Amino acid sequence: MSESNGEITRREALARVAVLLGGVISAPTMAGVLDAATRRAWATAQGWAPRTLSPSQLELVAVMAEHIIPRTDTPGARAAGVHRFVDTLLSDHYPTAERDRFLAGLADVDARARSQQGKAFLACAPAQQITLLTELDEAAYPVSGAGAPPPETWFFRRMKELTLVGYYTSQVGAAQELHPSPFGAYRGDIPYTSVGRAWS
Amino acid sequence: MITYDAIVVGSGITGGWAAKELTEKGLRTLMIERGRDVVHRKDYITEHKPSWELPLRDARLSVGTKGAEEYPIQARTGQFRESNKHFFLKDAKNPYVEDKPFTWIQGDQVGGKSLIWGRQVYRWSDLDFEANLRDGHGVDWPIRYADIAPWYSYVERFIGVSGEKLGLAQLPDGEFQPPMEMNAGENLVKGGIERAFPDRHVTIGRVAILTQPLNGRLPCHYCGPCERGCSTGSYFSSQSSTLPAARATGRVTILPNSVAHSLIYDAAKNRVTGVRVVDVVTKQAREYEARVVFLCASTLATTRLLLSSTSPRFPNGLANSSGVLGHYLMDHHFLAGASGSIEGLLDHYYQGNRPNGIYIPRFRNLGDDASRRVDYVRGFGYQGGASRQSWGRGGGERGFGVELKRKLHDPGRWSMGMTGFGECLPREDNYVELSDKTDDFGIPLLKIHCTWGDNELAMRKDMAASAAEMLEAAGCKNVRTHDAYRGGGELGAEPGFAIHEMGTARMGRDPKTSVLNGYNQAHDVPNLFVTDGACMASTSCVNPSITYMALTARACDYAVAELKRGTL
Repeated sequence: MSESNGEITRREALARVAVLLGGVISAPTMAGVLDAATRRAWATAQGWAPRTLSPSQLELVAVMAEHIIPRTDTPGARAAGVHRFVDTLLSDHYPTAERDRFLAGLADVDARARSQQGKAFLACAPAQQITLLTELDEAAYPVSGAGAPPPETWFFRRMKELTLVGYYTSQVGAAQELHPSPFGAYRGDIPYTSVGRAWS
Repeated sequence: MITYDAIVVGSGITGGWAAKELTEKGLRTLMIERGRDVVHRKDYITEHKPSWELPLRDARLSVGTKGAEEYPIQARTGQFRESNKHFFLKDAKNPYVEDKPFTWIQGDQVGGKSLIWGRQVYRWSDLDFEANLRDGHGVDWPIRYADIAPWYSYVERFIGVSGEKLGLAQLPDGEFQPPMEMNAGENLVKGGIERAFPDRHVTIGRVAILTQPLNGRLPCHYCGPCERGCSTGSYFSSQSSTLPAARATGRVTILPNSVAHSLIYDAAKNRVTGVRVVDVVTKQAREYEARVVFLCASTLATTRLLLSSTSPRFPNGLANSSGVLGHYLMDHHFLAGASGSIEGLLDHYYQGNRPNGIYIPRFRNLGDDASRRVDYVRGFGYQGGASRQSWGRGGGERGFGVELKRKLHDPGRWSMGMTGFGECLPREDNYVELSDKTDDFGIPLLKIHCTWGDNELAMRKDMAASAAEMLEAAGCKNVRTHDAYRGGGELGAEPGFAIHEMGTARMGRDPKTSVLNGYNQAHDVPNLFVTDGACMASTSCVNPSITYMALTARACDYAVAELKRGTL
C-alpha cells in the first residue's frame, strides 16, 4: 500500500458500483453513476506537500500517529497517510486559534523530550518515545473519579482522535483493517462471528 | 408577460407536489425556484464517495471552522457536513435578522430541502386536529382527520412509506411497504419498555424510503447518507418522484435561479394575477401571469413573500386582512432525552447503514385520565436507536498502540439513545416581520422573534425524565439524560433547530383570525393558495412533511375543481 491515500483504482470503483447495482438497475442509470464517479477524480496524491506543518512537524505527527496505530498484520497510521490528513485539517478546516493550539502541542512534545531525554522527540529511541507518549496518555485520560483532565492534556486527546479519524476513514483503515458495510440488504441481527470485525 | 395556468413558487416537498398535481390535472404550470438546478443522479456529486476521497473525511463543518465561512447559520445544524454542504444555502444569499436565536435552515436548489430532509413520515390524528379547540391555544383547525385521511393514502402510495402498523388512535396507520428491521439492541430495549409500560410502543421509524420497488424507483441499498442524493431514487425527493411526474405531462416549466420578488395583485378583480421574478444571475426582473398561484416556498419564505407584497388594499401584506400573517410561528422542540448502555449481546451485530431509527409514539395527554399531565398540555414522541460503538470510542479512553488497534478491530458495547420531539404551542408573540433592511433584490429581510414558552420547557423535563425511566426499566446501564436547550439568548435546541418551522399564515375557520381556509385557500384572495408549513395552525409532535404533502394534493384537487367551476 502506497501513501497515496486519495487514490482508488477504476477497478475498485467498478466493483463498488457493481455491488450497489446488484444487476437490477438499468443501463442508463449505471452510466450515470459511473459518470459521476469517474468525473470526480479519484484524485491522486502526486506532488503532495504539507501546507501548515513543517517537514519536521509532519514527521513528528507521523511518528506519534504510528505509535498510536502501529503496523501489525495491516498497515499502520503512517502508511494510511494520517500525517497528511492532519496537515489537511489544519490547513483547510481548523480555525486559526485551534490550529495554533495544536502546533503549540507539537512544540510541547518536543520540549518534554528535551527536558527528559536531552533531545528532540524524533531523535529519541522508539522506547523513549513510547514512554513519553504513555505519560501524555495517562495524564489525558485520568482514572475515573479523578475529575476532569487538565487543559494542557487537550493536545494528546486531539492527536489521538485525529489519528483514529485519519486512520479508520482512510482506505487502509476502512477497507483493510476494518471493512465497510456492503451495499444491499439491511440485516438487523446477524451473528458477530459471521463478520468478525467492525464495520468502518 | 408570459401566461400560465398556474404558478408554483418553490420546488421542494410541497412545490413538487403542487407541480405534479396541477400538471396532471391539465394545467400548464410554471415552477419558480430561487436556487440552482440540481439534476437527479448527475448532480449528486458526493454520492457513494468513500470517506478517503473526501479531503476532510466528511467532517462536520461547525460554525467558525474553515469550510463553513459562507454558511454561518446553516453550519449550526449537525446535518451540515463536507459531503452535503452544496445542498444548503449560502447565507449571504438570503440573510435574516434574529431577535433571539432562531435557526433558519434553507435549501437553495431545485428540490429544496427534499434532498436533505429527515424522511420520517407520520400521519396526524384527531388528537392533533382537535388540540387547539380542546385546550384553547391557537384557533381550531378547519379540517379533521377524515378530511385528510384519503390524501395521506394518496401521498403514501406515491412516495412509498415503509413502516409497521400499530393500530394506535394517536398515530394512524398508513399504506406501508414492509418495515425495516430493528437490530438486536433495539429489540431488547423494546421488550423491556413494552413489558414495563403496556401503553407505550417501540416501533421502527415510518420512513419515506422504499423497501420494495415503486414506479421505477429501487428499494434502499443501505449505503447510509441519504442527504448526499440517491441515484436509485430510494427516498422521496422532488428529483426522484414529483418532478419526473410533472415533467411527464409536458406541462411544467421549471425556472431555477429565479427569486419570487412579489405577487401581483389586481384589486378590481381581487385576484393575484401573477408573480414578479428577479433573475439571480442577471438581476433582470420579469413578470409571469397565471390564473392560480400556489406558494410552496417554505414556511418563512412564503410568509415573507406575502408580507412584502403590499398594495392599498393590503398595506400589511397580501391576504392579511386578519393581521395574523407572520404570527404564530412554531417549531418542534427536540434534543431532550436520554441514553444508556446495553449489557451483553456481544455476539450480535447488524449489516447495512440503515437510514432510519426507532420511534416511540406519543403516550402523554391522549384524552384519558391515565395519560394526563398536570404540568403541560400536548405531547411528544421519541426518535432514537441502538448501535454498537465504533472505532471512535478509542478517542475517549486511555491506551494506544497494538492493544488499542486490536481492541478497535471489534465493535464495542451496545448503547441506546432516544430524543423527544415535542409539540409547540401557537403563540401570537412568536412572529416574523419585515425589517428595514433589504437583500440584493430589494426585498425586505425577515426579522424573526421566537422563543420557547413555559409549556415547551415543562414538557422537555418530562421528555428527558421519561426517556431515562424507560431505558432503566429496559435494563440499560449508565443511563444519562440530555437537554440541549440553553436559553438566555444562547444557541442550543433553539427554535428553528428542528427544521420543522411552521405557522405564520395559518389555516382556520374565521377570516378574522386566520389567513387560509380549510383548503389552504387565502380567505381574502380566492386564487391564492399556501400549502407549505406556513399554513399550519398547530404542530402535533410528529414530523410534518407528509401532512404538507397531503394538504397540497388536496388543495390542488380543490383549486382545479374551482377553476373549472369558474369561481377562481
